[in-house]
Amino acid sequence: MFEYLVILLDEASASFCHYEAPSLQERKPISADMLKQGIRFAMRQNLAIQFVYPHYEISDELDELVHSVDHFKIMPADIDATKADVVVVDGFNFDAAIRLQKPTTLRVKKDEFFARYHELVPLLEAVPNVNVVFTDVQHFTAADLQTYSTVISLLAEEVAKMYVGDLCPRINLLTDRLSLNEMNNCGAGATSLTMAPNGNLYACPGFYYDDPENCVGNINQRELEIPNGYLYTLASAPICRHCDAWHCKRCVWLNRKTTLEVNTPSHEQCVMAHLERNASGKMLMQIREHGSFMPECEIEEIDYLDPFDKRHLW
Amino acid sequence: MAEIKDNTQVWLDGEAKSITFIVTKDCQLACKYCYLVGKNSKERMSFEVAKAAVDYILGNPELFPDQSVVWDFIGGEPFMEINLIDRLCDYIKTEMYRLNHRWFNSYRFSFSTNGINYDSERVQRFIEKNHTHLSIGITIDGTRRKHDLNRIYKGSGLGSYDDVVRNIPLWLKQFPNGGTKVTISSPDIPYIKESVLHLFSLGIHEVNINVVFEDVWKEGDDELFEDQLMQLADAIIDGELYKENVCSFFREDLGKPLDISLENNNWCGAGKMLSIDAEGNFYPCTRFAAYSLRSKKPIIIGNIHDGINQNLLRPFLTLDRLTQSPTKCLSCEVASGCAWCQGENYDAAVTPTIYQRSTAICLMHKARVRANNYYWNKLYCKIELDGARPAKPSCIACSL
Repeated sequence: MFEYLVILLDEASASFCHYEAPSLQERKPISADMLKQGIRFAMRQNLAIQFVYPHYEISDELDELVHSVDHFKIMPADIDATKADVVVVDGFNFDAAIRLQKPTTLRVKKDEFFARYHELVPLLEAVPNVNVVFTDVQHFTAADLQTYSTVISLLAEEVAKMYVGDLCPRINLLTDRLSLNEMNNCGAGATSLTMAPNGNLYACPGFYYDDPENCVGNINQRELEIPNGYLYTLASAPICRHCDAWHCKRCVWLNRKTTLEVNTPSHEQCVMAHLERNASGKMLMQIREHGSFMPECEIEEIDYLDPFDKRHLW
Repeated sequence: MAEIKDNTQVWLDGEAKSITFIVTKDCQLACKYCYLVGKNSKERMSFEVAKAAVDYILGNPELFPDQSVVWDFIGGEPFMEINLIDRLCDYIKTEMYRLNHRWFNSYRFSFSTNGINYDSERVQRFIEKNHTHLSIGITIDGTRRKHDLNRIYKGSGLGSYDDVVRNIPLWLKQFPNGGTKVTISSPDIPYIKESVLHLFSLGIHEVNINVVFEDVWKEGDDELFEDQLMQLADAIIDGELYKENVCSFFREDLGKPLDISLENNNWCGAGKMLSIDAEGNFYPCTRFAAYSLRSKKPIIIGNIHDGINQNLLRPFLTLDRLTQSPTKCLSCEVASGCAWCQGENYDAAVTPTIYQRSTAICLMHKARVRANNYYWNKLYCKIELDGARPAKPSCIACSL
């Protein structure tokens, strides 16, 4: 059941996830009329709206419409993001995010993360929640996954120290798994849809930016159903429904890009999620060496990094 | 059950790796039901491309852990490229031996041919050279009128029956257990009974027959189909043809409910197989090559230069019945034996996915199940009455 509508306020609204948005050559904001229709559509369908801002200040007319309805703002850090609900940062330049002290999404490439992961500590201390998103998952090699294994373990040690020091940092890669007891993935295509400035609906902005022809509907439709919608649900994902890396984004856009099916993750996506899962487990043990901590949470040791390798047991 | 002939087991069925070379997209025929929409005379596989594919496959045994292999050659008509095939098979044998590959002791070369140039000198020389490792099936659809209804020459439109049937005795002499494959489309339904009986009379004791998976069926086809199958059942049983012959329409395990928790396997082997085209592209099955697809892009999973992209195989290797089947299939009381083709599913799907099962054959399957029930009930009654089989305690019809 759909609960959220993401509305892109420009044809090049900032990316807040794995996909790349086109670079801003010229401003192509959504028309006021289309935004009005989108808001009415969301209200009729009982969808909570998330506005995604471009890398410039929107017009007063659009701003007025945005504030005509309850909503959630996703804003890049390079504009005035004081009213943001989530601030998006590209790369390890997060002074603005530290200053704003808001939940922050950090979009980063693997090499930068491997080299500078320890610089996350001040960000973790300053903001309530850090959501790290790799923008080059599809380019991770076997060697990169080895490096990631080391780096995520080292980062887990840093986070464990913060917990022992009475801080309560939250970072999706390591702490989300601790508080979950079932899959909690991105709901693109299952619980959320994206409306582009053309009035069409997409499973997520990534599909729109890949090709505007990838739409699954438009805001003129009365029934909120999308073609083969079941494929976006966990029940229709043979690998994921057997998985306990519950924090995994299970990105359907990456799935489509790497395996051609929205319900099938790539090997790289699975291994990364499991390295994070395992690092979370070790971090939990490290924290517990200093006293009781989340006694209800257990992360068992497993002998695989990709559930696909265990498919003969399903 | 000694009196009822069983299907001949396909060589290491399901255990051997199937590797298919699309050696040509050309064929002498233009069969009306052919799913190959992009046949042409230009795309012929070169020896260099075929050799590179063999080198990749034999050079990466960890990617192909199967104990045995079936090297399959299809087209178009594969025997139009007999020179390439002969040279390639020699190369495969030499390389398997040189590499001390486990497949050297467990391999087959397999062909499905239209049979037209089966008796040519080149084909016969190839058969003689490789006979102990060969599986060859000739496709003949039945009587002349049934065969020539669909299997016609390109250009002239003339039927090909006479040119095929003259090669059947030679083929059966060389492969006494040879079976044939018959495909049924909507216009063929009235000829099913006579065709199967005709094939039996030619000495072909195993007739593997199926309805096309494409959505070609018209209202009332299922009733006609059921009627034909029941007439066929009567003829087979009354004539005691079941002792020497098998028609795959009738199977004892057909038409039972399936427990999804125990029987969740995918029907189709796409992804476990590998197909290679003239360009050196790899496919999960030939049905995903461009020349087989009406409305979707081909699914290319790699090529001879870069190898297989394992990520593109993951959806195929995790496909199961539950995920791709609509609710009506999961709760179907006669689900067992209801087949599907992954390529047709993909081609017919409303989005580009292999996870949407086409149900175009639903009514035809149900008709087949009813006729199949009739067949086995009648056959068992006959065998019991003849004293060849102990009566079932619950056999009310026999009053036993």
